[in-house]
Amino acid sequence: MNKKITRTFKPLAILFALLAGFYLPSAVFAAGPDVVKKDLLELGKKTYFKRCVWCHGVKGGGDGPSANRLFTRPRNFLQGTFKVRTTDSGELPFEADLIKTVKNGLPGSAMPPWGEVLSDQEITAVVNFVKTLVEDRSFDDTEDEELNPMEFGTMPWSTDVGNSSGQNLFLNVPQEAIDQGKEVFIKNKCFECHGGEGRGDGNPTMKDDWGFPIVAADWQQCWNFRGSRRQHYDPFNVVRTVSTGLNGTPMPNFKDEITVDDRWKLAAFVNSLCPRKNIDKLTNKPINDFLISSMYTEGDIARSIDDPMWDAPDDDPRLVPRGEGYPGTLNKKHYIALAGQITRGNRNFDPKVDNLWVSSRWSPSEGAVYYLVEYHLRFLSTDPEYPDAIAIQWPGKLQDLFGAEKPYFIFGDSKKPIDLWKASFLAKDYNPTNPPSETGYKLDVKVNEFIGNGFDAIKEKETPATVEIVDSIFKQGRVRLLFRRSLETENKETDVQVFQETFIPVSFFQWSGADKEKDEHNALSTWVYTILEPPVPDSIYYMPPIMAVIFIGLEGWLVWMTKRTRKMYKEGKAR
Amino acid sequence: MNKTLIATIILAVVVGVFHFVLRPIFAIDDFSWVLNQYVYFLILVLSIVAYNLILKLRPAMAWRGGVVWLTGLYFYKFILYPPVPWTLLITYMMLWTIGTFLYVSQDEATFKEFRAPLVKVVIGEYKFARIVVFTMMPLLVGFATYKSLIPKFEEPVELRTVHPAPPATTKVHGKTYPLEEISNPFRVDEQDNYKDSFPFLDADKSEYMKYVTEGGTVFFQNCHYCHGDQLNGLGMFSHVFNPTPANFVDPGTIAMLQESFLFWRVSKGGPGLPNESTPWSSAMPPWEEHLTTDQIWKVILFEYWYTGWHPRTFDEESSVGE
Repeated sequence: MNKKITRTFKPLAILFALLAGFYLPSAVFAAGPDVVKKDLLELGKKTYFKRCVWCHGVKGGGDGPSANRLFTRPRNFLQGTFKVRTTDSGELPFEADLIKTVKNGLPGSAMPPWGEVLSDQEITAVVNFVKTLVEDRSFDDTEDEELNPMEFGTMPWSTDVGNSSGQNLFLNVPQEAIDQGKEVFIKNKCFECHGGEGRGDGNPTMKDDWGFPIVAADWQQCWNFRGSRRQHYDPFNVVRTVSTGLNGTPMPNFKDEITVDDRWKLAAFVNSLCPRKNIDKLTNKPINDFLISSMYTEGDIARSIDDPMWDAPDDDPRLVPRGEGYPGTLNKKHYIALAGQITRGNRNFDPKVDNLWVSSRWSPSEGAVYYLVEYHLRFLSTDPEYPDAIAIQWPGKLQDLFGAEKPYFIFGDSKKPIDLWKASFLAKDYNPTNPPSETGYKLDVKVNEFIGNGFDAIKEKETPATVEIVDSIFKQGRVRLLFRRSLETENKETDVQVFQETFIPVSFFQWSGADKEKDEHNALSTWVYTILEPPVPDSIYYMPPIMAVIFIGLEGWLVWMTKRTRKMYKEGKAR
Repeated sequence: MNKTLIATIILAVVVGVFHFVLRPIFAIDDFSWVLNQYVYFLILVLSIVAYNLILKLRPAMAWRGGVVWLTGLYFYKFILYPPVPWTLLITYMMLWTIGTFLYVSQDEATFKEFRAPLVKVVIGEYKFARIVVFTMMPLLVGFATYKSLIPKFEEPVELRTVHPAPPATTKVHGKTYPLEEISNPFRVDEQDNYKDSFPFLDADKSEYMKYVTEGGTVFFQNCHYCHGDQLNGLGMFSHVFNPTPANFVDPGTIAMLQESFLFWRVSKGGPGLPNESTPWSSAMPPWEEHLTTDQIWKVILFEYWYTGWHPRTFDEESSVGE
């Protein structure tokens, strides 16, 4: 009897399940893993051993030749722990998840987008080969392995694409949703790891499943979100991560704590923190600014970072116009990318800071130029042996350089010296394990000026000090330092003299004390230029009308000429 | 007269179809449309036919001249890839303007026809058009003056020689190498025999793959930060530097260089460059400071094996004979 019922009802049940599947796309059914496609393994193995083995290792243990010099380390496949999935925490991923990861790469890590190089077939093949490298679990074990696709819903509001080529900027998310998202953020204590303003500065002691140190994502640099699939501003990335967690890391999932609707609000909040920039599709990084223009300022320049004079939007002003009533007048912060110093001496393969934001003002009446340098750093040093530091590098003898000539970008060379302004600092009363502080920490700054003739020939200047740090702060994972120097100094020999309307080469160095960075073990930028912008000339008020009036005169002349010619035609004087 | 109207309608349709359906294949980074390539071809042919039809309809000459001119602008601005800088665009458009002028002035009749509406505007027979044009133009001129007076700066353009002439000899680790004579000591066999061999897998089976594996190991411990996991010059640090790191997959780099040139560039790095190649901003390390001579040769071997390029060699027969 019972059997009979089941027999009759089974097809019906399947039919219902199918119908439900059609009509309720969000309905969730557990499934087994996608079994390994055996016929692709040969191709997959070839692809793996040409392309992947260098980082992920011969057996897939994440221990290839490059592994020890990478932060974050390459994935260890043996345990079957994959970060970016659409399945529940701890579960294996779907094949489609892995394919997307290989295709689009993992921004912010060394994993490049292989879709640019490999065919779809090769990618599917290599993914299937990687599945066979998993030792502790099996993708063929359809009985024990259960994959529960998570429920993501859809974005409940419509957004504006914006005008960045190739990037959807997801602008105009309702402010209400962002505010509610912030409440979700506070309620679920996301700040314990991600910090009070989302710069990932919450917890300095985190480790991944294999015991290697790991840091929380910096939400204000969403182009480094691993699973962003090259749509860095898409709130879906956040919804997916919150729903699925990141296997192998301390990031759990919040499927029971946060409803799907609230996940989208949280995502709206997280995304609102990330500045809108033009992002290069090939490198997944914002496009570098190679010119830092210093704004002309009448009168004295504010010596406090909090002054509206130093307010500037993080967004690219061409993508997101400044709102009405915005207090600042600075147009933008210049984005300066940093890389580890991997050229000379003691090399730095895993820098902790990969960009600086620089804005500048100058005042002829004060005779000084100011540079506000800021950057994100999760944790500062507390060791006086290894203070954090930032330095601005200039050509030492600008007057001797011909054309595009510059000193060597790593502390100059034997013939062409550099002028280095270095600010070393420790935060007062700071401990990395402190809870987020709304007021931030004052910095104990020491400024030194050096002459460099190569990384192994740096000498402190004996001439009087000229550079000062007039204000500085470390707050919620962001360091801000305001440099000031007079435009000209007494020591014209080795101090750079900053002249108006001249392109002057400048570059930056950064040392993370917590990472034991010192001397040439640092992060650096390449040479960029800075220029003191001249004031807007007075002629801008009278020249345009004058030109317009002259043009009206020309128009009158044209009419007169044309009429005269017509008359001549009529009278037969012209043919 | 209505021909102009018909031509306008056809033109609007053609441009619409062309711009939204066909153009994406010219804009390389846009994959939004996936259509069969034959469909693309058909649309292209139809656009050309329609264009001919438009000009055959003989709408007003000024209209035709305008369309020809705008077609040129459209081509240079949207279709030409990679996009040209605006200075070049202006040069091209000047040439195109001359061409358009030749088209409208091919004989006296067409030029007269072309000129007629313009003259009517100037002397005020088209009253409304004259008011619009004569008030807009001075405003535009004033605005352009204003724009040009606002101080604006772009970083200076710097040119550099990418592949400078190498020196005759180079001294690495205390030994002097004449660049024209040396070859890679680890190139023990013909590279193409190892297309289907793989690092680590075949490293025990053949000497050649052993060297490739060792070279790759060096590459992925030192070089990939800039030159990239795909050897395409897009490593994690690549976007920081200017000049950007070399793309070895590109036919313009290692494919057209000798191995001895690479040996010199790798050993001496940025600081070893002559002045015309901006040694001060090249982030290429002088690898002799970090690697042994053997490691340098092996990494060069690896780069050729991975990309499938062959190093440039002197053809002995042709250089000896004749």
